[in-house]
Amino acid sequence: MTYYLVIFAAGFAGSFHCIGMCGGFACALGRDQRGGGATVLRHLLYNTGRLTTYCFLGGLAGALGQVICTTQGSIAAPLLSGSLDIAQRILAIGAGLLMIAMALQFFGLLQVFHRLAIGFGGSTVAMSLRSLLTARSSAAPLAFGVFNGFLPCPLVYAFAAQAASTAGALPGVLVMASFGLGTFPAMLMMGGVGRILGPDWRRRGVRLAGGFILLLGLITLGRGLLPSDAHIGYAWLGGHPT
Amino acid sequence: MTAHGNILCSHCSLPVGLRPMERRLNGEDCGFCCYGCCIAFQVKSGRQEEWEAAWLLIQLGVGGFLSMNIMMFSLLLYSDAFTGADAGVLPWIHLLLWIFATPAVVILGGPYLRDMWLNGIQGRVTSSALIVLGVAAAYLYSAFAVFEGSTHVYFDSAVMVLMLFTVGRYLEAVGRARAARDLEPLLAAESERATVVDGAAEIRRPVRDVTAGTLVQVRPGERIPVDGVVIEGESNADEAVITGESRQVPKGAGCTVIAGSINIDGPLLIQSSGDGTATRWAQICRSVREALSRRSPTQRLADRVVGVSVPLVLTLGALTFVYWAQSLPFDRALLIGLSVLVVACPCAVGLAAPMATSLGIGRLARQGCLVRDPGVLETLAQVRLVAFDKTGTLTASEARLVGIDRDEASVDDVLSRAAGLERHSEHGLARAIAAAAAQRGIAPLATSNVRAIPGRGVRGSANGEPMAAGSMRLMDDLGWSLPAALAQRARARAASGHSVVYVGWGGRVHAVLSLDDSPLAEAETTIAALRECGLDVALLTGDLKPAAKRIATMVGIKAVQAGLSPEAKRAALDRLRHDHGLVAMVGDGLNDGPVLAAADVGIAVGSATDLARETAALVLPVDGLWLLPWAVDVARAVRRTILTNLMWAFGYNFVALTAAAFGLLQPILAAAVMAGSSILVVLNSLRLERLPDHVPAPIPEQQRSGAEAERARHDAGISAMAGLEIERS
Repeated sequence: MTYYLVIFAAGFAGSFHCIGMCGGFACALGRDQRGGGATVLRHLLYNTGRLTTYCFLGGLAGALGQVICTTQGSIAAPLLSGSLDIAQRILAIGAGLLMIAMALQFFGLLQVFHRLAIGFGGSTVAMSLRSLLTARSSAAPLAFGVFNGFLPCPLVYAFAAQAASTAGALPGVLVMASFGLGTFPAMLMMGGVGRILGPDWRRRGVRLAGGFILLLGLITLGRGLLPSDAHIGYAWLGGHPT
Repeated sequence: MTAHGNILCSHCSLPVGLRPMERRLNGEDCGFCCYGCCIAFQVKSGRQEEWEAAWLLIQLGVGGFLSMNIMMFSLLLYSDAFTGADAGVLPWIHLLLWIFATPAVVILGGPYLRDMWLNGIQGRVTSSALIVLGVAAAYLYSAFAVFEGSTHVYFDSAVMVLMLFTVGRYLEAVGRARAARDLEPLLAAESERATVVDGAAEIRRPVRDVTAGTLVQVRPGERIPVDGVVIEGESNADEAVITGESRQVPKGAGCTVIAGSINIDGPLLIQSSGDGTATRWAQICRSVREALSRRSPTQRLADRVVGVSVPLVLTLGALTFVYWAQSLPFDRALLIGLSVLVVACPCAVGLAAPMATSLGIGRLARQGCLVRDPGVLETLAQVRLVAFDKTGTLTASEARLVGIDRDEASVDDVLSRAAGLERHSEHGLARAIAAAAAQRGIAPLATSNVRAIPGRGVRGSANGEPMAAGSMRLMDDLGWSLPAALAQRARARAASGHSVVYVGWGGRVHAVLSLDDSPLAEAETTIAALRECGLDVALLTGDLKPAAKRIATMVGIKAVQAGLSPEAKRAALDRLRHDHGLVAMVGDGLNDGPVLAAADVGIAVGSATDLARETAALVLPVDGLWLLPWAVDVARAVRRTILTNLMWAFGYNFVALTAAAFGLLQPILAAAVMAGSSILVVLNSLRLERLPDHVPAPIPEQQRSGAEAERARHDAGISAMAGLEIERS
């Protein structure tokens, strides 16, 4: 449980990044003319859409991890509990490195992944999303949230990597769900009150999120590299629920 | 801190880090900390534009929400997350899946059902039927299984198939929108509104209500809606859409402006010179729209194949199901049958040609090249020989001075006197003589008492001495003598198709000027470029043989047929077609109409009206002969794209169908394969957007150097002839 709480906290800290990046969307969704209830519904729909995408990605990443591990011959070992086979170690190392890279990016030290994401036809994506923001349909916020979830975001990449390292569909979903729920309060608030936090505060939040991701990444990496009986931080996290 | 340390992201106001993403958006330099911010910024700050695919996107988003939930739970089911103690929740999970699947099937499947129904009542079976049937089978079976409490449901297959097809359709819409964006400025003529100034009031009116003489106000950044003359204001205009000229053209009071061009930086008050619907822009718009609405022969063939294939696939799907049902459980056999239906859906085939042709038509139209229908592009791509008409096509319709035969006078003296007289005349030959003198830097002699004698020439006097330039009859009228040697040269020149002007003073003829049309500056490079494309080139003309030969040698054409009547031209064209294959004919449309119509592709230079009369299939803009090799390139690229699209689509379908029938392809995978096929076809077509343009910079350069070379040769011609004469005289 502690594990998911840590991820929730990381998501919450990370939502300072979200406020910068996606908060604009939440503001753009704005208020519904039909009253406060409709406005809340609008933003709930938007965030639900986002959360669904995250969970889906988590499930997919987890299942992928599971597939990688089971194709190595052995049945997927209960995660993080017993000894790890080679595939799980490789997966953990890969995911850990990815998370560390993302964390470094949050500290402004590494910018590789931006280049990778470029060239996907950003203008087309922008054009499509813009048309959704202005659409009158009440289902548009939900659709917008769904697509928003797919926007390239270092936080999502980092936690998807974490989900993959759990090597199971269910824990994968839960990792992303914890993360998504962590971003919920701030994003929901954004819709109502608009930009209240100054850039300084948000920068601190982003650093904090980077710290969380770095920590999780190091732990994941350690799981892949260190002998099974020496899992640092494992006990601290209270083990992984199976 | 580095230099970038203080720069904040334009979107989220966080420091951008060491290497920011820099983009230029809406005319502002922006820096972003990440790609997501870059997109987010564009979404938030971009212009609000109506987008046809918006509703599809909502559909896709809601469908995505539902199907992702379904997939998530299905993934959990497949990964055996609910085993052992949790097995009790299984029926509830199935029920939940059903609850999610029902709206998803209704929302995503609705358009396909409607399409099937609309075609069905007209007695047609389309590919939508395959999808509807396949999905309905999976959905109904699974719903039944929920009631039965069975262990397997296939809601995920049903929904994901629909989802993937919708994604394919969405990307297709995006591709179409992108293709349409190319055409948008051309098609805007019909819906354009003009700000009409009526006294003090300004009223927005549709362009079709604008008549000659109406005053129209055009603000900076707006498109000029009508042809006309600037009454007031200073600005620059971008006429690229209509003329292909990429340079900005300065406009001030008295300048003519063209409908469809963009007024860039100052308000203009324009007096319309004709009806709003009679502009070249409106003509282009009509012909482009008409071209887009027609289908090419290849596409018609593909459509017919699709029409035949759908019932076949239905049969095959049924047979597959029956075959597998004998050895496998009912639900497994059903899934295999479903895979067959889904994978055989020929969506990509339907996409193969229209996207490529509309992109090609758009590309050509942006340079002012108009195409009658998509089939023209395919024919042009296969043409083996291009036949040219001479006058007005390969040659400038204006005459040029090509030779001077003299007797006891210098070239400079002759030209100076002739130009002194001829600059007072408006006759075509007179202009050519004055231009030739100016080109050599010879000042026209000051003349007085200049009188034009209609049909004969000009006479006047300089330094008290009478002078004349004109026909032999003028010299006869004046009683001036013509030296025998000069008379012989003049006869020879006239016999070889030249126009001859006699120049005399002091009671006798001193020189004979020969004039002829000469090739356009770009003719030679165009012919060379066509040869490089592997095309044969021929000259078919009604002119005299010597003149035709001379022009042909200058531009580099070897096959010449001269002295042809229009009927003989058609016969010659038939012979060429027999010897070479498909033949294109390039002419000026006015005189060559019937010949152009008889060619496989009739190409007219500079007269869009021929498109409407169906004499020409391709119209190049005025002075646009040099675009011909590029147009051939575009046509070939379009044909290549269509063929690769079709080959890919059919080949892919065939292989995937076989795999599905043998039970090797899961329905979801089959749908992904099909969506992938559509996407590949779209992407392959969109490659046409990246086709190199007509190389705006180097070609004018070449043209200019070509023109200079031509001028040099022209000068050399004069002096060579003069030199010859010096020896003779």
